[in-house]
Amino acid sequence: MSSRDKIEPPVIKKKIGTRHPINQTKDFLLNLLSKNGFQEIQGPEIESEEFNFDMLNIKKSHPARQMHDTFYVENKRRVLRTHTSPVQIRSMLESNPPFAFSSAGKVYRKDDDATHLPMFHQVEGIYVDQGVNFANLKDLINKILFSIFGEQVEIRFRPSYFPFTEPSAEVDILSENGKWLEILGCGIVNPIVLNNCNIDSKKYSGLALGLGIERIAMLKYGVNDIREFYKSNLDFLDQFK
Amino acid sequence: MKFIYQDLLNLLKEKPSKESLSKKLFQLGHEHEIDGDIFDIEITPNRGDCLSLIGLTRDLNNFYQSDDPYEIYDADIEILEFDFKNLAFKSCPKISFLEIEIDENISPYKAYLENYFSKLGNNKTNFFTDISNYISYERGQPTHCFDRESITNDLTFNNRSCGENFKTLLGNEIKLEGKNCVFAIDDEIVSLAGVMGGESTACSTNTRKVLVECAYFNPEDIIGKAVKYNLKSDAAHKFERGVDIASQEIVLRRFVSIVQDHASIKSLRMNSFVGNKIKERYLPIETERINKILGTKLTTDEYVNYLAGLGFEIKDKIKIPSFRHDINSQNDLSEEIARIVGYDNIKSIPIKLSHNLEKEQYRIHMIEDFFVENGFSEVINFPFTEKEDKKSILIDNPLDSNRKNLRVSLKDSLIENLLFNERRQRDSIKLFEISDIYLNEKNILQEKKLGIIISGRLGHNHEDFSKKLNSNYLNEILNLKNNISVFNIEEIPRENLKTKRKEKIFYTEILVEDIPSEFFKNIKLREGEINFVKYDPVSEFPSSTRDFSFSINNLVEYNSFISHIKDFKDDNLKDFFIFDYYENEKLGEIKVGIRLVFQSPAKTLSDDDIQKSIDKILKPIIDLKGVSIPGLEFK
Repeated sequence: MSSRDKIEPPVIKKKIGTRHPINQTKDFLLNLLSKNGFQEIQGPEIESEEFNFDMLNIKKSHPARQMHDTFYVENKRRVLRTHTSPVQIRSMLESNPPFAFSSAGKVYRKDDDATHLPMFHQVEGIYVDQGVNFANLKDLINKILFSIFGEQVEIRFRPSYFPFTEPSAEVDILSENGKWLEILGCGIVNPIVLNNCNIDSKKYSGLALGLGIERIAMLKYGVNDIREFYKSNLDFLDQFK
Repeated sequence: MKFIYQDLLNLLKEKPSKESLSKKLFQLGHEHEIDGDIFDIEITPNRGDCLSLIGLTRDLNNFYQSDDPYEIYDADIEILEFDFKNLAFKSCPKISFLEIEIDENISPYKAYLENYFSKLGNNKTNFFTDISNYISYERGQPTHCFDRESITNDLTFNNRSCGENFKTLLGNEIKLEGKNCVFAIDDEIVSLAGVMGGESTACSTNTRKVLVECAYFNPEDIIGKAVKYNLKSDAAHKFERGVDIASQEIVLRRFVSIVQDHASIKSLRMNSFVGNKIKERYLPIETERINKILGTKLTTDEYVNYLAGLGFEIKDKIKIPSFRHDINSQNDLSEEIARIVGYDNIKSIPIKLSHNLEKEQYRIHMIEDFFVENGFSEVINFPFTEKEDKKSILIDNPLDSNRKNLRVSLKDSLIENLLFNERRQRDSIKLFEISDIYLNEKNILQEKKLGIIISGRLGHNHEDFSKKLNSNYLNEILNLKNNISVFNIEEIPRENLKTKRKEKIFYTEILVEDIPSEFFKNIKLREGEINFVKYDPVSEFPSSTRDFSFSINNLVEYNSFISHIKDFKDDNLKDFFIFDYYENEKLGEIKVGIRLVFQSPAKTLSDDDIQKSIDKILKPIIDLKGVSIPGLEFK
């Protein structure tokens, strides 16, 4: 019993829980935008068609507005927002440029298969001022992607199509296996959208970008199946301490 | 849309390699995959003009000079005197018809036609329909072939309300609803215009005389119809995106040439029906504006040449080609310029945001950090539920009847999450969710709620293992510690839950705005950057637990014993912890209970597998002098 004074019961380590990996990634991206001067705004998930589509130059005939792509409620009077852009529309209507807003949260699309979920998360940013141009957008996107994936990451900008931006681009990064992976959509805010928000598009221009949070979380954590995030499986969640 | 590489080369004066062609296609915004000689290209919805060989190569003209080498029948064609009535010029501002009759014999298909079927995996149908399908690939303009003998009376086009059944040329019987663009004979619908023809007037392999219809349909009148009637239609895909309103006669003349390549033509007649004069569209030349949008320093010459290369006619202003429905503003033109310059070649210019940063609201983060600190895990659930409440918001078009309402509380989702984890042999569960809830009040009411659920053991350490999570626990950490009483804790009865577990379940839910400031006083926000750990896939195989009670008589070895435990390692060992500790000072003995949890990512572990792992793990501590597992003979 010579070591009697050294006997202590096993140390009890306080077990901490986990924030959901999607919320962790969401905050990481919002912080990134915040560091670049964007102010976070919030808005409702049940939206009018006006804010979710019309104001964003998504015409009545656009396929996204069909019943097979969008969830409608209240006898087709409202929708479950299909993107976080209507949050920006709401804030733009109440603000005078210059401004830079970020918004993040749940969005809904009528999809449910191995790679698409009826609910997922987006983060978006919009910056409106005099003389904002595509070269500025590229600079911001580069900064953001360098912060997420490291400065060595190879980035490719491709022309794309979104009704609310013109020109529009999708941005890819080169993955370790040599394949290009689509990461985000962005563009110069379509002057029609600015005018819809009572902003003089002859005087002001804007840039906008949007990322799928699940996509970034999957790449950063190495999760291959998007459905894992929503099984509420503690064996899964425990790993994201 | 799939393209044969050689077909693209045939239309380009310079002959790019697959690799450089691929690079330029990406630069232009035409995302694609290459499989052998096939380019499978995803054309964005605004670029319907690129859904053909001619259209896609026209977009590549600035890089490789495109050409239209195909033979177009250019002799005079007799006017087709034809009883056609267009009752909806708004939906179909232009339509052309070609009547063509051939001799009996049809030659084998020439290479360009044969390749379309053999290399792209398309099925042949009959001579005229095959040409119609091919020409859509070549020119992007759908045509429809009626068997001429089946047109027994006046043909009318209309965009009208329908309620009748219609049998497509593929034999699908569909029930038409609402307004549809249709062709009819004696009021009987013979074609769902812009989508699919009907069986009653379809061509067969015996058809030798056809009426080829070639039209421009207003995209808004075609959109959604193919999906609505569950029809796979290349024509609808193209009409929805807009075809070239100036191309119909050329396409029909090309049709004649292809027929001529394969058969003798007995008779040939053509006619067009046009509503109002089709307006030409113009935009001013504004180089400075383009440079302002892009952040570039292009000269007017460069600007004008790039656009000319894309088919824009430029004099004192810019004439927009009839096939470019997507061009309406200087921003649209700037994208054209940027595509040719290359997005990657536009140099970045740093932005200076003049916005003053405001401190973000941290309330939600504080709540999350409080629960994480107390060992809770955050979950996110879908809002859809089968359960209807008087305040439920009903989804008009749910995914299925099990998901037709939006949840009015977080409770059911969290109970499901708890049961799910119990089925996965979890014995200490603490979960929380923060989410917006929507209620059907006079107006839609939005509420941000916090839900908390607990059940099972208080913890896995030797002090908590035998204690249960209960309402006192929740009351203590939520209410008592903060001198508040806003959290109402309820027990969830297990009777109606499909579970054999007995541990009590406790739940509380609160509006985030109802949480008083006292709650936030002692919460410290966790700091530091997110750690993106690499995740290990979760095993779907069952886990097995083994408990061992160690007796340590030689207290000198106690500390070695404890440090050995920290080093437990095995591929099949998922978790381990000390669940019991007792020191008998009189006997000079310490008893330690250890639980080992085994699970393999690849299989259900057998007893032998587990025993092998146990032997490996426990051997070093069993070898310690004075350490034993009473009643267990260790190998």
